[in-house]
Formats: sequence, structure tokens, C-alpha cells
Amino acid sequence: MPTLTIDGKQITVDPGTTVIQAAESMGIFVPRYCYHPGLSIAGNCRICLVEIEKAPKLQIACNTPVADGMVVRTNGQKVEQGRQSVLEFLLINHPLDCPVCDQSGECDLQNFYMQYGLYDPRFKEQKVKKTKAVPLGPTVMLDAERCILCSRCVRFTDEITKTGELGIFNRGDQSEIGLYPGKELNNKYSGNVVDVCPVGALTDRDFRFKARVWYLSSSPSVCNGCSQGCNIDIHYVTDRPHLAGGARVMRVKPRYNAEVNQWWICDEGRYGYHFIDQGRLRKVTHRGVETTWEKALMELAGALGRVKEENRQGQIGVIPSAQLTTEELFLIRKLFVDSLGISQCDARVPEKPGTSDDFLIKADKNPNTAGAVSAGLAGSSFDTPAVRPEPFGKLRAGFVEGRRPATQDERCTAAQIIDRCLAGQINVLWVFGHDLVKLFGEQTVKKLSQELELFVFQGSNENGSSRYAHWVLPSAVYAEKDGAFTNCHGLAQKFTKAFEPLKDSRADSQILTELFERLAAVGPEQAVHPSTGPAPDLIGGSG
Amino acid sequence: MDFKQLESEADKIIGRYEEKRAAMLPLLWLVQEKFGYIPPEGEQWVGERIGVSIAHVREVVSFYTLYHTKPIGKHHIQVCTTLPCLLKGAKRVLAQLEERLGIGAGQTTPDGKVTLSTVECLCACEAAPATQINERYVGPLTPETLNQVLDHVLKTPETHDWLVDSARAELVEARANVRPSTGSGRTEFQPYVSTEGPVLSKRFRSAEGAWFDAYAADGGYQAAKQALTSTPAQVIETVLKSNLRGLGGAGFPTGKKWGFIPKDNPKPKFLVVNADEGEPGTFKDRYILERDPHALIEGMIIAAYAIGSHKAYIYIRGEYVRPAQRFAKAMEEARGKGWIGKNIQGSGFDLEIVIHRGAGAYICGEETALLTSLEGGKGFPKLKPPFPAISGLFKCPTIVNNVETLACVPPIIRNGPEWFAKLGTAKQGGTRLFSLCGHVVRPGLYEAPVAVTLKDLIFDSRYAGGVRAGKKLKAVIPGGISAKILTAEEINVAMDFDSLMAAGTMAGSAGVIVMDETTCIVQALWSASHFFKDESCGQCSPCREGTGWVFKIMDRILKGQGRPHDLDALLSVAGNMEGKTICVFADAAAWPVQSYIQKFRSEFEHHIATGRCELAVRGELVEPRTDRHPSTNSG
Repeated sequence: MPTLTIDGKQITVDPGTTVIQAAESMGIFVPRYCYHPGLSIAGNCRICLVEIEKAPKLQIACNTPVADGMVVRTNGQKVEQGRQSVLEFLLINHPLDCPVCDQSGECDLQNFYMQYGLYDPRFKEQKVKKTKAVPLGPTVMLDAERCILCSRCVRFTDEITKTGELGIFNRGDQSEIGLYPGKELNNKYSGNVVDVCPVGALTDRDFRFKARVWYLSSSPSVCNGCSQGCNIDIHYVTDRPHLAGGARVMRVKPRYNAEVNQWWICDEGRYGYHFIDQGRLRKVTHRGVETTWEKALMELAGALGRVKEENRQGQIGVIPSAQLTTEELFLIRKLFVDSLGISQCDARVPEKPGTSDDFLIKADKNPNTAGAVSAGLAGSSFDTPAVRPEPFGKLRAGFVEGRRPATQDERCTAAQIIDRCLAGQINVLWVFGHDLVKLFGEQTVKKLSQELELFVFQGSNENGSSRYAHWVLPSAVYAEKDGAFTNCHGLAQKFTKAFEPLKDSRADSQILTELFERLAAVGPEQAVHPSTGPAPDLIGGSG
Repeated sequence: MDFKQLESEADKIIGRYEEKRAAMLPLLWLVQEKFGYIPPEGEQWVGERIGVSIAHVREVVSFYTLYHTKPIGKHHIQVCTTLPCLLKGAKRVLAQLEERLGIGAGQTTPDGKVTLSTVECLCACEAAPATQINERYVGPLTPETLNQVLDHVLKTPETHDWLVDSARAELVEARANVRPSTGSGRTEFQPYVSTEGPVLSKRFRSAEGAWFDAYAADGGYQAAKQALTSTPAQVIETVLKSNLRGLGGAGFPTGKKWGFIPKDNPKPKFLVVNADEGEPGTFKDRYILERDPHALIEGMIIAAYAIGSHKAYIYIRGEYVRPAQRFAKAMEEARGKGWIGKNIQGSGFDLEIVIHRGAGAYICGEETALLTSLEGGKGFPKLKPPFPAISGLFKCPTIVNNVETLACVPPIIRNGPEWFAKLGTAKQGGTRLFSLCGHVVRPGLYEAPVAVTLKDLIFDSRYAGGVRAGKKLKAVIPGGISAKILTAEEINVAMDFDSLMAAGTMAGSAGVIVMDETTCIVQALWSASHFFKDESCGQCSPCREGTGWVFKIMDRILKGQGRPHDLDALLSVAGNMEGKTICVFADAAAWPVQSYIQKFRSEFEHHIATGRCELAVRGELVEPRTDRHPSTNSG
């Protein structure tokens, strides 16, 4: 294995490692525009020039393989002068329109100018005019004048999505990024080109002009859009209600995870966050009338308590959701199944499988079906999809089956619970999150509303269920709580609360805990404290 | 639009290449030949045939100047406005054309008959000022001959190609000078060309080319026969001993280069011939292709055998239509005589040769850009490492050699390496074809020992015969436009690679551009910077931005808007471009800036101070229009 010296420090790395990688592994940052670890090497921006002993010219760190005994300097006059001149070249035709550029504040032209530039501008000529504010498709806007032609976006559409929409046309200083005339950039991962763009050339139409990036706070999380569980950062603002109509979440960005999503997320996940601030249930209601948590929990505990113990198994149905965290699912299992003895408790609903591909998008649009399975609330295995070979190498395997409680009736799915409701066998129904109207039709849900003695909907957003349920309990979305999702490959991933639940909504765990404290007070001797009993089986995690 | 009729031809083309994508340029040529331009349906069709997205097809179409996305006139007149032609009156030619046609460069006459454009160097500098009309080179253009040409172009019915009448018009390609021919009593046009050898020019006498029988009668293919009976290592050793160096311009020892091919690599090896001659001031390879193509084929056989290659590509610049046709004809002859194909002359050695046509991009003369272009991409130089000898064409070991270099190989084998080495210096053997152009009495192509002095090339009666009547020498560019300029006092220098390097310039492609005292150096640099700005591939930021920046400053100075700090800015920008890019194009663009200003600073200062040129009144070198090529730019 070659040993080399970078900035006076020695390091031994694998053969084939490049200088930029070796430096990075020592915590030495070499500036880069075209280099992206997820894409092929282009070597065109020239900002990563370093000095290598015995080489007459500066070399680009991104394409120089390490060699034993190599001596590299990432600073010093020659390197700094080289970088500075490259920056000057990159900026001569750049419009310098930072005040109106969305990238401002997270732009590597700004950043590197402050770190490595700081020269007096001397370009006195007309800049090259190119197209500006061109929508490339539904998600991305192009400003060709800001583009430094690093080709990251072109390589992304060539190498990652293999859709090949983008190209660099013409040559010399007339070179321009763009699409074939009449075509658009509209693949399932388009938004990633905005992330890979190091400057303000490609901006996100969804985020454009919503907020300056320096107002954003960031919280690491896990996408709830499907069972892949891509790692994300939620970028939000809580103290500027005049921005984006008072919404808190401004955008979602992928967060690197070698085993799950690398640097990428799909557009469905990226732009699927609007439900966090829109269409939310804000108040506890009983038959359309606003009430308080106190009253609701008292009455619901009372109602549950009135069902005779021997009738609970047959008369109460619970439909949990694989959108909930593993902790919450275990709590549901403990409280409804283990404590109250309810067997008709199952998260499997008759959903049509969603779109999927062989990359990140999974047909199961729930982030935590595996968590529901491990809590014994969704049969014994994943219904959809079959576990595919992992695209990113080794997985932390080890999802443990067989922890299901013996009482679980495997054939009892949500559809059967609804059937039993309609047949009059079940007269208390507690639904978490699901839109029963979408799943079973409006007539059915209307009928449930009329015939059930108690119909509770506990969820975060308005939907068909919230319209017909007797009781509506507003709950927090994933961004408003701590927890973990287990993805389709069995990887459990923790995430933390970004901000507080909206208005009166509460985390499901809090709602359930308080409900059962009251239930214990009204009598059922089986009630157990939520902190005892089987624990979620969390394997690893990256939150 | 019906592409079905192109399918079988497309299949044949695709079948020539190891990878489908490599058929990009030839398929685009096929479409353009069929429809006169490349319509969107054509881009779509090409993309589908080779499995490339239409955006990438458009990238390629927009990169090369010879592809058109809109219909152009039946006659496309391309006026060369690069320095060698500018020195000889390209501006006058353009003005005359614009006046007569009533259109500007980049436009088409209202009847759709003629499109006029300006182009960078056609490499017909011996015939400057030159134009290309459709496929044919025409020059030198005096006002009279230009009118004759236009008469034919304008009067010819659209269905009739005026070029078939070119004999009647007494227009012969590359007409560098007029000599009364013996006997016929007719005026015959012949450029000045060496015909005495000893290495390269022996069969240059006939403008119609030397074909198989003549070549064989002159000892042709004896060297290949000899090589095929020795081992590849022996061939490499012979070439090493001959001190043959790469004559494309880099001067790397050819035998050493061949030795870089890994012996244990199971992948196929490729020989690629660089016939993308484009260095302004250079036209040597065109003569070899047209007049002695078998010398090149024989050189290719020997080189391929030496490096263990069974497939050779020859990349010929798109403008070189007749050279490509001549070479193709020679290939057919050689194939018929058993020198190309399976089991050559019963030796057990196989060699296929494929002609690949460029499409208008100087950068493709850079060996790795040539490979990218051959693979079906824009002419972007490749990152090194890996080097082509390890991973070149289609990621296989590849040797790229210049036409002239390979044409030297058969005589080396035949006459022995010592013979060749002795013709030259201790470090560079042989002779070279020197392209002489600009303000000399006899522009032309002269074979001379590599160590001939620049002074002799310009003034000796065997060569260019001096500076044109009554004028004094001012400056010389000794090795193509990339080379640093020399003053009249600096011409007592030998022309081999090492001597010129020691003199602070380079031998390059041996294209010698001579400027007399009427030449405005500021305008010369304007022209050079225009060339580099137009031809930068745009991949690396220092080159893409730097060439444009330099040109803009030069343009301002020439327009009388120079500022006191401009010269310092130019030198600094040029310095910042040097040594920071994937290939040496940026360095080549920087050297003229540095050397012209260094050696003629007062002239620049005068320009900036007064806002005008003292020499413009007398000199012919005046800025051309800067119109772009028609209809090649995408939106």
C-alpha cells in the first residue's frame, strides 16, 4: 500500500486512491467544482490543483493516483496562485448576481472566492451572454450565465439516471449547458442536479425565492416516502412566518449514506414534504366539534374501558400504519394487543403497489413496513416488494423475524377488520393515518361512521378518514418526533425531531401513553406501563 | 424524411467500429450528405442507431463546424481568415465576395444558392488566400481568379456541379504559383513542392498522385515485406536507432512511443493515424495523403506490426475531401494487392484500416481529443493518466502517430536507421516537410534535413526564395501558429526540435509563417487569439475563459480602445493559462501572446497610446469579420 506525504503528514492508503481522496481522509480539504465522489472524474474545473514534488506543473488532485513516496502540497504560493487564477477565470463571465441568486450563501464560487480568491477583479470586457431563468422541467431552473460548465449535472443524467437529457453544446467560451430543443428534464431524480450543481446555475423551482439559505435550520432525518428510507436533511425555518406562507419546511436535501442512498434522493421524496405544513389536522374534534385533549382522552379511555374484557378481542379493531415509527408501533402492539388483548390489529391495508425502479424508489410507499412486521402488526414478512439486491454493497443484515406474539391472527388484515366492522362484529375502530375512503370507498366509510359505536382517527393530515371518524386526534408527522424506521433491507434508522408538532397535534407515542394512563385509571387490570414489555428491535441505524 | 434508405449503409458504418458510438461522426456525415444538413429527425435517427441520447448527438453536431442544423446554400464558400491567409489578403477576398454576392459572412443569398462563411485555417496556406467551395480547395485567389470562380458558381445551373468544369476554369487546387509547363503551351498551375526526396517527397512530382505501380516500382512495400519477416522488437529497435521523432509537432521519439505498448495486455491494440492536420501554417500531410498515399499505408503496416495491432484508424480532417478520397483509392489498391486485410502477403499478419473523417475542430489534432472524437464524442482531450499507450481508443492500448512520421518509416526500414539518423542531428534523424507560407517569394512545401536553418528555408533559392520583392523580413513563426515568434534577427537557427527549443520556440509542425515589414504584429496577435478562441474545446476553465479574455482585450486594442494596463493583463492572463489544463492547447494559446508582446512591445504600446495602426495603411493584414459559421450553433 502506497505511503505518501500530504502537507507534511504521512498517510498510507489503498492503491488506486486519488490525491483528493487521500487528502480528504486526513481531513485536508482540497477545493473542487467538477469533482464529485458519486460521479466519474471530469478534471475540467482545475480548481483542485496541487503541487506534487518532481512534477513540473501543478496537478489536479482529483485525477492523480497516489504513488509511494509521493510528496503533495495542497497549499503554498504556487498552489494558491494557481487556484486564484482558476477562480478568476471561472468568474470573468459569471454574472456576479449573488443578491438575486438562490445559491447565495451555499455557493462554492462565493465560498472559494473568500477562501482562495480575494483578488482585485481586472476583467473589463463584455461578458458572454447566455440564456437565463430557463425552466428545464417541472423541478429545475437553469441560468446558463452562472454555469461554470463543470459537467456534474451532465454526468449525473448520464451515469446515475442514465437518461442523458443534459448536454454541453457549442464549444469554447460559447459552451452552454442545456437540453435538446423541445425536451425537458423530467426524470424521477431530476432534483439531484440542483444538489450537484456547485453554483447557482441549476436552482430548485420548488425552493426558488422562498428563503435565503442562511435562515434555514437543518435537521437530519429519514425520508418517509417509501421503504428505501433515504437519509435526508430537513431544511426548515420556524421564526420567519412571513416566508412561504408560514410553512416551516423549505426543502428536503439528501444526506449521504453509503448503504442506503449515497448522495441521492428521488423527486417524489424530495418534493413530498409539503404535507408537513399543508392540510394538517390542528385540533382535536369530536363529530366535527373542537374539543380538548383532556376531554377526548378521558372519553376515549372510558369508551374502551366499557368494552367487556371478553369482547375486546372480537369487538375492537385497530389499523396501525407503517408510516409510524418502530417505537410507536411497538407501543400500539403493547397497548392494544398485549395489554388490551385485541387481536384484530393489523397495518396491512389493500394499497396498490406504487411505482418503483431498480435504484431508490420502492413500490411500498411506507417507510416502516419492516418496523410494523417486527412489532407483529403486519404479518410475517414484507408483502411488497421482494427484497432486492442492495445497490450499495453490504448491508447490515439481521432483521429478526419470529418475535411476533402468538396471539396475532395472521389472516386478519385491515380489509378483514373493515369487513368485520360492516358485518357488525367489530363496533370500535381505531385508525392510524390511513385514508379509508381511498382504500375502501366513500360509501363504506360513511357506513362505518353510521354503524360503529366508536370510530377514532389518529393522524396528521386531513383525509377521508378524518372526515368520517367520530373522533379526530391530530398527531405529529415524522419531522416532529424522534424515532426510527426500518427500511426494506432491514436497516433500522433513527431520526430526530426537527421541530415541535404543529398547533394541537401531538406525537402518537404521547397520545397513546396518555390514553393508557387514563385507561389504567378507569380499570382494565391488564393495562401495562408502556415502558415494559418487548422492545423495538433496532439494528444499527444512522440517525 | 426517410431514413430507411440509409439503414444498410448505416449498418456497414457501425460494423467498422468496436463500439457503436464511434459511428457518430460518420453517421452524421451520412445524414448531411443525404439531406444537405442535419435535421432534428436525423439527430434522432443517429442517436437511436448508436444508442446515444439526442442531447449528446446535438452536443457533437454543435461542436464541429462542418455540421449544419439548417439548410445552407448549394455552394458553400468558406473563406479562410487565419493568419497565413490574412497575410495574403483574405480580407480583400471576403470583401470582394460580400460585395459580389450581396451578403455578409454567415449568410446565404436570397435564392439559396450561395452561403458565405469565414473559417479558421484550411491548411492550404501555400495557396493563400484560399477558400473552400463545397468540397474543393481553391486558391490563391487574385481578384481576377475569384471573379472567374464566382462566374462559374453563379452561372452554373443548380443541378450541375461547377467543379467538374474546373479544368476549363483553369483552377487547380493549391495553386501556389504559375509555371509555364513544358511543351503543351498551356498554362499549368503547380505549387512549389520538393520532388527530390530523399525521404518524403520523392513521389510528389505528379499532382495526380503516385499510385500502386509507381510506388512499387520505386521500391515500395519492400520495407513492409522486410519488417514482416523480422520481429516487432527488431522493427521498434530500428526505428529507435533512426532517431525518428513525432512530426505532428511534439517531437517524441517514435520508437520509444511504440515501446510503451504493454506486451501482456490481452486487449486489442490500435494504431491511429493523426491526419487531422490543422495547425495554421502547415499543409504537409495533405501532400502525403494526395500524392504518396502508399508511403503512409506502408508505414502503417510496419507500425501496426511493430505494436501488435490488427486494426488501424486514420483520422482525416473533415475539410480534406480529396486527400481522403485519394487515400481511400490507395487503400483499395493495397487491398487488391494483398497489403491490407487478412494474412498480408502470406505473413500471417492481419491488418484492417478504417478511414474516419473529422468534422471541423482543430483540437482533434491533439491525440487524445482525436481519440474522443473517434469514439463519437466532442473533441475533448482525455485526462492523463491513463496514457493512450495503456488505455487509449476504446480503452485499449493505442499508438497515435502523425502521417509524416509514419511515411518516414518505410525508407528507414529500407535504407537502414543509420542512413536516416545521419540526415539529421544527433537526437533527431531524417528530413522534414517544411511548409512555407506568408510573405515569401515561393510559398510551398520543402523537404529539407531537420537541421536546416530557418534562414535558409526563407532565403535559399532551393526553398522559399526570400521575402517578397522589395520588402524586409520582420518576423517568423517557425512551427505553426502555436510556436513563439522569432524576429528577423533570430532566424539563424536550425529547425530541429532541440535547436528551436533552445531558441525559446518550437519546431512544432514545421509550418513556417513569414511576415514582412508591412505586417502589423498587433493584428497578427489579434488573428492568432481569434483562432485560439474559436478552437478552444471549452473543457478546462483556464483555456475556455482565458482564450476568450485574451481575444477580447486584443479586439479592443485593435479597435483603438486599448488601455495602459492591457499588456500586463494579457501577459498575466497568458501566464495563468499555462500549464493548468488537460492538454497543451492553452499553453499554445499563451505562447503567441507572450512572445509577440515580448518581442514587439513598442508596437503594442504605440497601438494602445495612439489607438491606431501605422502599418494598416500599407499592410494587408486587417481584421476579418467575426461572424460565426452559419447554422451550426444550437439554441
